Amino acid sequence: MFWDFVIRAVRFRKRRLTLAFAALAVAATLATALFSVYSDIDRKMRVQFRGYGANIVISPAAGAQTVPLAAVALAERQGAVAAPFIYAVGSLKGEPVVVAGIDFRRAGPLTSYWRVDGARVGGPGECLAGSSAAAHFHLQIGQKLDLEGAPCTLRGIVASGGAEDAQVMVPLESAAQLANLHDAASLVQVRADGERLAQVQTALAQALPGADVRVLHAVAETEANVVLKIRSTLFLLTALVLVITTLCVTSNFSALVLERSQEIGILKAIGAAEKKIAALFLSESLILGLASTAAGYAGGLLVAWWIGRQIFPESAGAGVGVNYGVFLPVAGVTLAVAGGATLAAAARIWRIKPAVILRGE
Amino acid sequence: MFLRFVSQSIRRSPRRKAMTVAAVAMGAAVATAMLGVMLDIGDRVSRELRSLGANLMVTPKARSLPVEIGGISYRPVSAADYIPEAQIVRIKSTFWQLNITGFAPILNAAAPLGGLDVPVEGVWFRRRLRGADGSTLEAGLRTVSGAWKVDGRWIDDGDRNDSAVDAMVGGAVARRLGLRPGGAVQLFGQPFTVAGIISTGGDEEDRIFVRLEVLQRLVNRAGQVDAVQVGALTKPEDEFARKNPAKMTPKEYDRWYCTPYISSIAHQIEEVLPMAVARPIWRVADNEGKVLGKIRGLMLLISLAALVSAGLTVWSVMATTVLERRGEIGIMQATGASNGLVAALFSAEVALEGAAGGLIGSWAGLLLAGWVGRTVFQTPLEIPGMLGPVVVGAAVIASVAGAAQPLRRALLLEPAVTLRGGE
Repeated sequence: MFWDFVIRAVRFRKRRLTLAFAALAVAATLATALFSVYSDIDRKMRVQFRGYGANIVISPAAGAQTVPLAAVALAERQGAVAAPFIYAVGSLKGEPVVVAGIDFRRAGPLTSYWRVDGARVGGPGECLAGSSAAAHFHLQIGQKLDLEGAPCTLRGIVASGGAEDAQVMVPLESAAQLANLHDAASLVQVRADGERLAQVQTALAQALPGADVRVLHAVAETEANVVLKIRSTLFLLTALVLVITTLCVTSNFSALVLERSQEIGILKAIGAAEKKIAALFLSESLILGLASTAAGYAGGLLVAWWIGRQIFPESAGAGVGVNYGVFLPVAGVTLAVAGGATLAAAARIWRIKPAVILRGE
Repeated sequence: MFLRFVSQSIRRSPRRKAMTVAAVAMGAAVATAMLGVMLDIGDRVSRELRSLGANLMVTPKARSLPVEIGGISYRPVSAADYIPEAQIVRIKSTFWQLNITGFAPILNAAAPLGGLDVPVEGVWFRRRLRGADGSTLEAGLRTVSGAWKVDGRWIDDGDRNDSAVDAMVGGAVARRLGLRPGGAVQLFGQPFTVAGIISTGGDEEDRIFVRLEVLQRLVNRAGQVDAVQVGALTKPEDEFARKNPAKMTPKEYDRWYCTPYISSIAHQIEEVLPMAVARPIWRVADNEGKVLGKIRGLMLLISLAALVSAGLTVWSVMATTVLERRGEIGIMQATGASNGLVAALFSAEVALEGAAGGLIGSWAGLLLAGWVGRTVFQTPLEIPGMLGPVVVGAAVIASVAGAAQPLRRALLLEPAVTLRGGE
């Protein structure tokens, strides 16, 4: 009998309730989407900063000329990306030129900002040239370079805006021979995840007493700073939307009760208990709240997924920004507010005098 | 009569009207706050990213290739390759001068110290200059490299002084030589006082920095600099920016020239300094574009989602109010009002409510956006003044659109049906 009543009430006021449902569902969608995006924005933004390359540099300490190559393996065991570099002065066409020995495979993730014409990786007997060097020596891709001690075929031309522009880049082994180094490098660049930066630096510094392990403050701090600011912005905006959503839901559900004074009057006149009427309204609100939360949750995840796919396509596969855990907070807030607002408005039920209401005053 | 009807309708049930207006205001507030933050966040983050250092390097059009490892040159630099110090200030007279946040000239040299050659750089630390138009501006390392940590003090070189002998020493050099702030170091046969120890983690730690004019005097290169670092706020590169300017049509060229791409700013610097080449430092410039692009895109989509939901909220609120007043519409029709008149009356009322809600909402939204800006970025956001009026207009349109459909439906029904309480 009670549920029959609730269902009929919902069905009779279909249009009015559809609008209330729509408003709530839209609010829940926005809240879910924002929560979802906010919950892993940290990780996603940090991924963006990987492009800045190394954030730790291991260089020879006072007195030493080289860094042991074992530093690379050490850093990799810490879960970081690491690559050794060797620098020497070579000679090309009778002129001195800086020859850089690079482990191209390892250095790849650290040099993603290079603008390369041709190949990015040089195999044995191959090399790359910086743009200024290429212009100075009139080098062309495919040309044989008569680099003293390490003749090679030019595979690519690199523009970085940095020191690389004036260098000739050869595989690490060739440069090691040229510079007469064994199991050692001029420096090792390391890229550690922002959160673990300090930890990796400490571990490396302990394991390599003969080397200078330095954190590039500019990269590390800018990353931390920007990530924090974006996160706080999103947090504030999410909180803002949540507060406004709550207010909207409150007023919506109060209205659902307030506009039915006449009905309440009739119900009271034919002898319904106030508690029973309040329960009636409450269950109606909760049904509505639940339905719109479910719809909003689905919609919100869809929006979050869409945003994730549009903006961060490279982290596709990993759930693309969809966080299923946001259902509980969103549902909790929506239902609590719907129930609370209904109950607050339902206090009127006790005050309503059927005779007065039905007379139309 | 018309106006009286509208004003009375609003006066008669102030509570319900207030709720409607409040709902519209909330939607408008969300939209305004989101848009306000979105429109300015790119600039804010762009400024934060400038702490990574210069994104453009200006060097002389070299006739010889630099042979340099770790700041030590392995071949004497040709005396013909330099940028005249007097002309550097022209960088601030380019079209995009306001986007150039700082620049710093550098002169390279090396001095033997403790058995090793140590790179010594002559720089401006923070120099106050007079621009071409008489305005003062600041330049120097501190305007380019925000993230340096200094133990001791920065050298204050607001004015030229080529006899002041203080130096700032990189952390690695200081550790090797056991230098402390206030200590002394011998460079080019002249004693220098260590003003501060710099720690950056980068190769600056292996160098010593002194005033530009002091180094110029010591190495006999008066008025010359080897490079200028420039920090500029840029627009992230897109497909268009990667086109070769030499192959653009005049119209495209104008568009490219008038957009603060890193390449067009570099081009304009080369125009004012014909003896130099300006090259983007891609490690900074490339990633700046990528990070900014992500943030802008993210905020745009979030604001879009917020905008759509705000619009839907306003729409549903207005539809509800009309739905509730079907009885009223029936009575008006029954007493002889034409459909057009009823529609006009209701639209005017709804539009008025939408405008009121929009006004309150956009005002609150601007406050909220300002609050977000101050809390996160410590500076108020620069929000275009058009935002408020646009949001008010959108609120009115959404309100009228929401009311339109139920109104039309109610008008099409026979008054008798409506008054009996049927659908």
